[in-house]
Amino acid sequence: MSKDGNAGFIPTRLDYAVKWAQKNSLWPFTFGTSCCGIEMMSTLSGTYDLARFGAEVVRFSPRQADMLIVAGTITTKMSPVLRQVYDQMLEPKWVIAMGACSSSGGIFDTYSVLQGIDEIMPVDIYVPGCPPIPEGLIHAIMKLQDVVQTGGKRPQMHKLTRAEATDAMSFRKGSQETLFDDSKPLKGQLT
Amino acid sequence: MSKLTPKLQAEQDRVQALVAEIYPGNRVERDVNAETVLWVNSQKELIQAVKTLRIETGLQMDRLSDITAYENIDGRDGPKRFIMVYQLYSMRFHARVRIKLAVEENEKVPTLTSFWRAANWLEREVYDLFGIPFEDHPDLRRIQMDERFVGHPLRKEYDIKDRQPFPDSLPVRIAARAPLVSGQE
Repeated sequence: MSKDGNAGFIPTRLDYAVKWAQKNSLWPFTFGTSCCGIEMMSTLSGTYDLARFGAEVVRFSPRQADMLIVAGTITTKMSPVLRQVYDQMLEPKWVIAMGACSSSGGIFDTYSVLQGIDEIMPVDIYVPGCPPIPEGLIHAIMKLQDVVQTGGKRPQMHKLTRAEATDAMSFRKGSQETLFDDSKPLKGQLT
Repeated sequence: MSKLTPKLQAEQDRVQALVAEIYPGNRVERDVNAETVLWVNSQKELIQAVKTLRIETGLQMDRLSDITAYENIDGRDGPKRFIMVYQLYSMRFHARVRIKLAVEENEKVPTLTSFWRAANWLEREVYDLFGIPFEDHPDLRRIQMDERFVGHPLRKEYDIKDRQPFPDSLPVRIAARAPLVSGQE
């Protein structure tokens, strides 16, 4: 717009402008549960300065965030909480799985740790590393900006059924008994 | 293993002798750190021992450091399956006494919450991971595992990689006292 008030020709389409605005203001909701969280703080602070990409406004309310950065090990007990956070975020929303633990469970191949957060929510970008260097997270955010701008294919989530859940248990595979019986309450569960 | 300073070593030696004197009929031994280990034979004796060690002038074991358990797989500690371990510490003398009690599977153990409120969560942890029930415990629920979890993961028969992915249809609670949210399926 020139100084005399003449708007001139606005050479853009509205959805292009919206996408441009979205990709340059990806406000993160941080879910740092272990050492990846420290690298994420480093990325946000002065040396690496995530503000260059418009993603420095860390929101601790899922309602105000666009992007969920899951940085750290997610246990099976934490997973309903994380899922609740994801469900509370407003569309459009994106998820970055930062580090080996949130991508695949990492070194924690045990009974208590989720083997990748993609078991409970769709993930847009995976960042490898244990923990990833800040450049890794910056690269992921730049990739996510590409996804936002080009409108790439979004990941889909498959809901786990009871039979599949029983079958997915590595050592119960193939057995006919289902662990989760609808008729009786679970042991230790409050009613 | 850490070596005690001479002063603490002398204190621990004194405690060792005193415990052996109070419990002549019990097995009293020292571990690799020269700490005192007192074996009690029954649940009733456990309560008595905790009371005595706490009020005895020369001991004053007033702090409960830890409650844990282990599985007696090689049978070295008797015929029973689990060994309960109570780690006591004297703030006055800076000495430690460990009480051990052998229990069978599903054998009830009296709670120590009336002596130390810290015992509440520690006993919940032992219940959660080993399945040892505590009698008269005010709030015996799982503490570390999800409440939908089946089994006790630190038992030897539980395979370490045996994960339990919960289906979406199973009701879930996102905080301890929150209402159950029904499944999303």
